Amino acid sequence: MAGKSGRTIQSVQKNSLKSTLLSWEGALAILFIALNIFNSIISPSYTVTNVLREMPKYLCEIFMLFPMAYILILGDIDISVGSIVCLSATMGCFVCNTGLPVGLSFLTCLAVGTLCGLLNGIILTTFTELPAMIVTLGTQIIFRGIAEITLGSGGSVSLKNTAGYNAIAGKVGIVPIVFFLVIIAAVIFTVILAKTTFGRKLYAIGSNRTAAHYAGINVQKCRLIVYTIMGLMAGLCGMFLTSALFGANTTTGQNFEMDVIAMAVFGGIATTGGKGNLIGGIISAFIIVLLRIALGQINLNSQLILVIIGALLIIAVLIPGISSSFKAKQKMKAVE
Amino acid sequence: MAEDTILELQNITKIFPGVKALDNVHFDLRRGEIHALMGENGAGKSTFIKVITGVHAAEEGKMILEGKEVHFKGPRDASDAGIAAVYQHPTSYPELSVAENIFIGHEKMKHGLIQWKVMNDEAAELLGRLDADFGPTEEMGALSVAQQQMVEIAKALSTNAKIVILDEPTASLTQNESQKLYRIVRQLRDHGVSVIFISHRFEDMYELASRVTVLRDSQYIGTYDVDKISNADLIKAMVGREISDMYPKPEVKIGDELLRIEGMSRTGFFKDVSLDVHEGEIVGMTGLVGAGRTETMESVCGITKPDEGKVFLQGKELHIHRPADAMKEGIILLPEDRQKQGLILSWGLNRNVTLPIQEELASHGFNDNKKENELSKKYLEEVDTKAVTIFEQASSLSGGNQQKVVVAKALAQSNMKVIIMDEPTKGVDVGAKAEIYGIMGELAKKGYGIIMISSEMPEILGMCDRIYVMCNGRVTGCLDRGEATQEGILTLSMENSAKHEHAETEAHS
Ligand SMILES: Nc1ncnc2c1ncn2[C@@H]1O[C@H](COP(=O)(O)OP(=O)(O)OP(=O)(O)O)[C@@H](O)[C@H]1O
Ligand SMILES: [Mg+2]
Repeated sequence: MAGKSGRTIQSVQKNSLKSTLLSWEGALAILFIALNIFNSIISPSYTVTNVLREMPKYLCEIFMLFPMAYILILGDIDISVGSIVCLSATMGCFVCNTGLPVGLSFLTCLAVGTLCGLLNGIILTTFTELPAMIVTLGTQIIFRGIAEITLGSGGSVSLKNTAGYNAIAGKVGIVPIVFFLVIIAAVIFTVILAKTTFGRKLYAIGSNRTAAHYAGINVQKCRLIVYTIMGLMAGLCGMFLTSALFGANTTTGQNFEMDVIAMAVFGGIATTGGKGNLIGGIISAFIIVLLRIALGQINLNSQLILVIIGALLIIAVLIPGISSSFKAKQKMKAVE
Repeated sequence: MAEDTILELQNITKIFPGVKALDNVHFDLRRGEIHALMGENGAGKSTFIKVITGVHAAEEGKMILEGKEVHFKGPRDASDAGIAAVYQHPTSYPELSVAENIFIGHEKMKHGLIQWKVMNDEAAELLGRLDADFGPTEEMGALSVAQQQMVEIAKALSTNAKIVILDEPTASLTQNESQKLYRIVRQLRDHGVSVIFISHRFEDMYELASRVTVLRDSQYIGTYDVDKISNADLIKAMVGREISDMYPKPEVKIGDELLRIEGMSRTGFFKDVSLDVHEGEIVGMTGLVGAGRTETMESVCGITKPDEGKVFLQGKELHIHRPADAMKEGIILLPEDRQKQGLILSWGLNRNVTLPIQEELASHGFNDNKKENELSKKYLEEVDTKAVTIFEQASSLSGGNQQKVVVAKALAQSNMKVIIMDEPTKGVDVGAKAEIYGIMGELAKKGYGIIMISSEMPEILGMCDRIYVMCNGRVTGCLDRGEATQEGILTLSMENSAKHEHAETEAHS
C-alpha cells in the first residue's frame, strides 16, 4: 500500500556489467589475470605443476584469512594469531612425539587453537571497553611465551615420526590436499558471510554497533563466536604448517597476523568495520601468494618481496576512494 | 534588491548523484529578520542551507551577500563572512568537553597557547544565556541529544555571526526548552542578526518568524508574510494537498493490561517508575529533556540494566536481559536517535527495515532477499518515505525520511504487542506526521499497546489516552485524556525539586 501522497519506491535492482567491473573485486580479478601473465614472463619455472608444489606452505595462512575477514568486518582485530599458530604447532608436535596416534596430535592443534581464540573472545566480551588491538597484543606475547617455555632451551621441536603428517601433506594428482581444503573453507566462509543472517549480523555490528544492539543483535555473542573460530582456524593452520615443516620453533607463524590482515585489506575489507567481502579477500590472497612464489622463483631476496607487497597494500587502500569518487561523477552525469 | 536585504540567492540548482535536490530556488533574507524555511521531508531545506554555508557547491545560481556576489569554497569561508549554522545532524566530538566543542576551529589563543580558563568562562556564559543545565567542562558524549543541540547553538552564538542558520533546532526540545530558544533567537534579532530557521513545528514559525519560504519537491513555491497566510494555505503550499484531520485518534475500547512496570530504578537516571499500558491504549510520556523518559524505556527493553524494578507482560513477569529478549516478547522499541541507534547509515533502506526480523524471514539461516525486499517496500511506502529505490543508502535520505525508515523498521516487527515510540515524529513533516498518527490509531484499534515518548505538546494532547509526566527521573503525575491540559502537564513537568526532597525525607523518617 502506498502512502497518501501515492509515492512508490522501486524494488528492482540494476546490476550492470560495468558496475561489476568497476568494483574492487572486479579490479582484483583483472589484476589476478594480469599477474599470472606477468609471472610467467618473468619466471620460466612459473608452471602449474611448480606453483602447486610450492603452494602448501603459503596456503595454510589463507585458512586464517577467512575468520580474520570476519573479525575486521566486526570492526575488531586479532594480532595474536601468529602466536596461536606457533603454540598449536608446538603442542601438536610434542603430542605426536610421545607416540600417541597422530589423530590426537591433529586434535591437539585444533583444540589448542580453539582454546586460545576462546580466551581472546572471553576477555574481549567480558571487558567490552578494552580495545581488541591491545588485548590481542597481550595474548600474542603470552601465547608465544608459553610456546617458547614448552620448546625449552633448544627453541625447536622436530617430528620423530612424519608418517601421519605426510598423509595430510599428500596430493590428489598434482593438486595438494590442502588446496582443496582451502577452497572448501573459502566456499563455506564466503557463503556464510554473504548469504546468512549471521553474516548480516557481522556487517551490522561493524557498521554501527549501537544500532545493532538496539536491533536485538547479541553483539558480544557474535564476537565470542568469531574469535573462537579464528582460534580454530589458526590451529588448523598450525597443523598444516607442521605437515610442511615437520616441526615447530620459536619463530613459527611469526608475522602471520600481518600477512593475513594485509590480504584482507588488499581484498577491500576495511579495518574500520562493516565493509568488504571475502571474494575480494580470496582473490587478493592468491595474488599475494602467487606473487611471492614467482618472485621467490627468480630468487629475488625476501626483504625486497616484503617491500613490494607493502607498497601494493598502500596502493590498494588508496584506490577504492579514487574509484568511488569516479563512480559518483558518472552518476552525476546521468542526472544532468 | 531591497535596501535592507542582507543575503540573496538566485536560481540555485543542486544535483546529487541520482537526485536533483534543489531546482532553481530563490531566497532573500532581510537584516534583523527571522525567516522560516519550511517544506516536506526531502524538499531540499537542509541542502539549501548547506549551499549557503559552502558545504555543498551549487551547480547553478548565485549568492549575493550584502550587495556583493560571493563564492564560498567551504564552511570556513562562510563563517569568516559572518554566517553561522547549526546543522540538522551536527557532528560533534564526543570525547572533547563542551567548551572545546563550542570553540573548535576558533579556539581562544594567546602566544600560541589555548586559554582554557577564558574558553571555559565564555562557554559558561553562553550556556548560561541558554539556561543550560550542564557545565562547559562536561564531556560532549555524555550529553543527551537535546543538550548537544544546545551546545551547537552556543557554538553558533560564539562566533558573533551576522546571519545565524538553525536547521530544526527544536526537533528534540520540549516546550520549555523551545521557549528558551525563542528568547535567544529574538534577542539575536533585536541585535540586528538575521536568522534562518528550519522547523516542522508550526508553533515555532508563529512564535518567531515574520516571513516564511516554502520549498516542495526541490522547487521554490513562494515566500509569504506569516501574518497574511492562513495555516491551511500554508500546509497546502507545503504538501500540495489538504490535511483534514491532523490527529485521527480513533475511539477504541481499552482492553486488558498489557505491560506493567513496577518500581523501576536506575541510579542517576530514574527512580521508582511505575506505569502500565492496556490493549488499544496510547499512553504518552512527557516531561523536560533529561527527565529520564528515554532511559526508563531503554531499561524496560533491555538496552541498559536497571538497578531494580519488575516488568510484567499480560500479568506474567518478564526477565529481560538484552534487547532481543524484549523483542521476542513483542515489546518493540523505536529509538530516539535515528542516526546512532536507529539506522545503519551505510546500508540500504531494505536491510535497515528488516534487520531486527531477518531471522524470522530467513530459511535455515539463509537470508531471503525477496521476502525482505517485498516487506521493506511495503512498510517504507506505508510511512510514505521519499526515496527512489529501497536499495538507496540511508545516509542519502533527508532527516525526516530517515526517521520514517526507523518507524517502518519498528512496524515491520510482526510479533509486536507493545510498541514504545521515542519521539516518533521528530523532524517529520506535517503530512507524514498525520500519516504516522494514523498508523498509531490503526495499531491501537488492532489492540496493541502504544507508549509514545514525546516532547511535542500537540501530539501528546492529540493522540494519548493517558499521559505520564516525568520530572527529574520520577513520574510526577498521570493525566487522563479528558483532564490533560497544556498547563497541567507543564506544572507537573516542572514540579520543583523541593517536593522531591520532601518526599525523600518522609521516606527516610
Ligand atoms: N549527500 C547526499 N547524497 C545524495 N542525496 C542527497 C544527499 N543529501 C541529500 N540528498 C537528497 O536531497 C534531497 C533533499 O534533501 P534535504 O536533506 O535537503 O531535505 P530536507 O528538506 O532538509 O528534509 P527534512 O525535512 O527531512 O530534513 C533528498 O531527496 C535527499 O535524498
Ligand atoms: Mg533537513
